[in-house]
Amino acid sequence: MYKIIILTTLFISNNLYAMDNMHDHDSKQHDHNSHVAVDGSKTKLDDAMYNKFVSDLGSSQVVIVDVNGMVCDFCARGIEKTFYDDALVKRVLVSLETGKVLIAYDNAKKVDFGEIKNIFLSNGQSATGMTLKKIT
Amino acid sequence: MGIYKFIGLFVALMSASIVEARPISWTGGSTIMYKSNSMMSSYYYHYSPSFKYSVGAEYINDRYYNDQYISIRSTYLLDRKNTKASQRNLYLTASISTKNNDDLYYGVHGDWETRRYFTSFSILDKRASQEDYTENEFQIGIAPYLGEYNQLHTWIMLKSKKDTREDKWKTYPFIKLFKGDFLLEVGSKESHWDLHFMKRF
Repeated sequence: MYKIIILTTLFISNNLYAMDNMHDHDSKQHDHNSHVAVDGSKTKLDDAMYNKFVSDLGSSQVVIVDVNGMVCDFCARGIEKTFYDDALVKRVLVSLETGKVLIAYDNAKKVDFGEIKNIFLSNGQSATGMTLKKIT
Repeated sequence: MGIYKFIGLFVALMSASIVEARPISWTGGSTIMYKSNSMMSSYYYHYSPSFKYSVGAEYINDRYYNDQYISIRSTYLLDRKNTKASQRNLYLTASISTKNNDDLYYGVHGDWETRRYFTSFSILDKRASQEDYTENEFQIGIAPYLGEYNQLHTWIMLKSKKDTREDKWKTYPFIKLFKGDFLLEVGSKESHWDLHFMKRF
């Protein structure tokens, strides 16, 4: 009896996971159609953090992201690792204190807020605001 | 959402507990763990194809029954709530022993944390060839200072657990240290060390 219950639980979990993947795929398609996925108008910038981040960076595009749910190093490490998988990412800075993530892209990158939002979603956090700055 | 509530309620009612810090990694991440206490020690590896799901294998040295076996474990993130300052999670977990058809467990695990406070609970219902039992566990913790990413994070924790084979609650303090990919928990109860080590990669 218990074997059946446990196998049923595992089976349902797998199916829920598959259903979630389908949903994520759908939302990615939706987001790619809209360039701005979230409202970045309220994104505030910590000047000291930003200046340190862009020093010696060269010509780049810097995205400043407000993130919900970033409460520990495991969250931060997952975000960092995922963004560094993109060869056009030059630098990533995660600040637990301010709840912000700074990502520096090569100018060849077409910055897509929908894509960035989905990267955070795939790591279990929520991006709530973004600002793009050009560094010359 | 109806099916989620049904499964959560079903497992909660059927099970009676374990708390494991963050039982699912980031998408594509792997985790190795070592855990040791008066009842058992174990080595556990799991892989997370998504932040909502992990599957892994655990080698268990059961000190209570003087038994050793391997279990296949799966954990699913049923619900997560992110806010600017906090995260709340509810997980379902299940495990089947490769030893025989009678050894398995299932349960529910929840946590809520900010950078300053931590609370969690877990309920595991275990079916063993020797006897059935449950493990219930609650944790609360506070970080005396707030560290930035990649700095050493220290938590002062209090754990309360009950294993029905012993039929009494045991409450004891422990320390949790967190840095980058590493987590270490060290506590002591009734002259036994409670150890929990975790590395993510």
